Amino acid sequence: MKVIRALRWLSMASVLSSLSPVVRADTPVNLPIPLGLPPLVIPASNPLTQEKIDLGRRLFMDRRLSHNNTMSCGMCHVPEQGFTSHELGAAIGMEGRSHRRNSPTMFNVGYQRSLFLEGREPHLEDQIWGPLLTKNEMDMPAIGYVVEKVRQLPEYKGMFEAAFNGPVTAERIGQAIASYERTLVSGNSRFDRWYYGGEKNALNATEQRGFQVFMGKGRCVACHSIGEKSALFTDHKFHNTGLGWERTMFPERTTYRVQLAPNVFVDVNAQHLKSFEPPMPDVGRYEVTFNPKDSWAYKTPILRNVELTSPYMHDGSLRTLEEVVDFYDKGGIDNPEKSPLIVRLNLTPDEKSALVAFLKSLTGDNVAALVRDARLAPENLPIPDHDPSDTFMSQVNARRP
Amino acid sequence: MPKCNNRFSLKALAAAVSATVALGVVALPTLSHADETACSPFTPLIKGQEDLVYVWTLGVEGIGDGSDKLVTVDVRPGSKTFGKVINSLSVGGRGEAHHMGFSDDRRYMWAGALDSNKMFVFDIGTDPSKPKLVRTITDLVEKTGYVGPHTFYALPGRMMIQALSNAKDHGGVTGIAVYSNDGKFISKHDMPTTKVGGVQGDGYGYDIGINPQKNVLLTSSFTGWNNYMMDLGKMVKDPDAMKHFGNTMAMWNLKTMEPMKVFDVPGAPLEIRWSLKKGDNWAVTATALTSQLYVIKQDKNGEWQSHDVATIGNPADIPLPVDISITADGKGLWVNTFMDGMTRYWDFHDPMHPKEVFKEKIGSQVNMVSQSFDGKRVYYTTSLLGNWDKKGKDDEQFLKMYKWNGKKLSHVFTIDFYKEKLGRAHHMKFQALNLSKLKPLAAAESQDLDSLKLALTEPKGK
Repeated sequence: MKVIRALRWLSMASVLSSLSPVVRADTPVNLPIPLGLPPLVIPASNPLTQEKIDLGRRLFMDRRLSHNNTMSCGMCHVPEQGFTSHELGAAIGMEGRSHRRNSPTMFNVGYQRSLFLEGREPHLEDQIWGPLLTKNEMDMPAIGYVVEKVRQLPEYKGMFEAAFNGPVTAERIGQAIASYERTLVSGNSRFDRWYYGGEKNALNATEQRGFQVFMGKGRCVACHSIGEKSALFTDHKFHNTGLGWERTMFPERTTYRVQLAPNVFVDVNAQHLKSFEPPMPDVGRYEVTFNPKDSWAYKTPILRNVELTSPYMHDGSLRTLEEVVDFYDKGGIDNPEKSPLIVRLNLTPDEKSALVAFLKSLTGDNVAALVRDARLAPENLPIPDHDPSDTFMSQVNARRP
Repeated sequence: MPKCNNRFSLKALAAAVSATVALGVVALPTLSHADETACSPFTPLIKGQEDLVYVWTLGVEGIGDGSDKLVTVDVRPGSKTFGKVINSLSVGGRGEAHHMGFSDDRRYMWAGALDSNKMFVFDIGTDPSKPKLVRTITDLVEKTGYVGPHTFYALPGRMMIQALSNAKDHGGVTGIAVYSNDGKFISKHDMPTTKVGGVQGDGYGYDIGINPQKNVLLTSSFTGWNNYMMDLGKMVKDPDAMKHFGNTMAMWNLKTMEPMKVFDVPGAPLEIRWSLKKGDNWAVTATALTSQLYVIKQDKNGEWQSHDVATIGNPADIPLPVDISITADGKGLWVNTFMDGMTRYWDFHDPMHPKEVFKEKIGSQVNMVSQSFDGKRVYYTTSLLGNWDKKGKDDEQFLKMYKWNGKKLSHVFTIDFYKEKLGRAHHMKFQALNLSKLKPLAAAESQDLDSLKLALTEPKGK
């Protein structure tokens, strides 16, 4: 309930701030931590304030932060779709350019110790510059271009001054977005109330059996860690399940099962698709460390709200939790660098369904509130009439004859 | 910037109708939407020889200036520049140029970009051989929340625009926007998402077809930005993406803009063509994924019904039926299948039992087909969507013209759009150098035309 009250307070503050961008500077926010989650580490260099959260929310949802004004963070991390996208296995970005990987959920992103699925970014404050500048994401031409564009957008007038006592800078853009993202904490699930809160009936018998599978025969807990006082369901490490290896080493199949309409499926010969884009290779964590041992290893995802974040795996290739459980039951896909933690499980059908039922008990109690809060950001703001770099140049030229 | 012509009025239409009748030009088809490339009933048509073909062309990175552009081709027989590009007007950027539509007086052309959501208005009346960009409308998303302006369909003094997607999740739930001729937003109309006539609406949109005699608007359904901007091969292999295509059509009351009935038409029904034959009361569409022809027809009780009337090809081979073009007498239908690059002619003497009677390969891929009103000339272009077009050597991009004698196609010219450094050739529209003699088609014969025009002119929707 504390979390709900806090979110209501946040929402009210957001409404007020949207009416008048400057409420007052440096309104500190002590983010309540729901049952089941550990304390959230807030960097001393970027303390949480309401002004930064409001600004970050607006930036997160603003499609104008892409070069052609079509992509915001929220277009791939759709609030109503578990802050990921249910419609795409691997994402697409600016001008429809292909991505190799699924959009990870933003729930509890403040707890991540590395960002992106191969963990290339250590800092949440810096993470945004990857998507902003990457050609197949938001494709902004340069850091300064982003800063100038935001500075010139009238809807941001005064907001940076209110949040930071200073003008728009690249660092402040990152700090504001990180501040908003840290508010996406989600816990107090039925599991939390059962395991940490002592509510004996919060999980039914099937879900409790599923928990036993999770902790025992299923070996899930080996990577999706559970602590004595809290659980993030991740070890923050990188593991090779074989899925990435297979996708890169043996990407082509002879046929594809394709849905044409509801309940209408056909098997399409791969030859029909040879004139299109080939699968994109992806070597996972190796791309960061260049250590062959890290080949095709991807970060263990946080499982909270997992029932809301389909499709699954690093490339979104598994559509349901049942498919995920089946994949691990078979021991993943054998390859030279497969994690020794992943072995054949031989789960019974009952154990599999119980495990899925348990996973669905991990849904936080504040999801709807977080979605409403995200949509407090103004939508579909006017796109600029002029290119921001042209405007910048004309202003400079006017000052410097 | 000159103000767009907004002079089309009820009086002007009435005068045009009167003049038409006075001149004895009474053999107008009952319905309009003639496939002199699928114009609105309210747009004057070229019933004789077209002089120009405009091609709305997608910019390609590394090809020429890389920009979307409106290309003008001279098709006047005997002209020194026959079959040549005589003008190219770049609009800047690659916004996924797609379809175009004339204003109600055919003096302006609206052209949409499915990614950037920009709508470009070209003056094609002052000098049709040199289109001039007079307005760029950028507020579609801001005013409606819709993404992907697709079909442009003229109403008296208005432009109706069917969108494909939305700005919340880039899915397929979308709607119809109405703008004034001078580019001001008037109203929005969400596609049905509830049960209408017992069938669940999916909220998706694609094409618009108006039958003014019946006071109905027929719409079809495709997919959202997530899919239409994705590489086709990647999409087909993505089970989640393939779940998100439209499976419905909707019949609307045109005056009230309220959906009257939703039809189950599984597999992405795309282009809509009403039969022009006097007394006919049916429209046809092709489903992109399931490769079927559907006819929407009134039954003896006046109720609109959908009928699966023919199979174009084996869906597992992904023939991907795309553009269709109906003859002015409603007796024939061109159907292009993108993947095999074939054009197919279907005998529609019996619309409930059509038969394919001719087919020919046009290229490694083919999308749009536009025939002259007399059916004697047929034009083809290649691009479907920037990321759905084939890659490598199969990515041919051209405009081809053929003559059609009812039995065979005779090639006249080809313009290689890559060789000319233009880009991907997509939608075509014809134009005449002398617009003064062109008349709008058969909306004139609507018994209830005045009230219909008035209803269309009054703002409605949200």
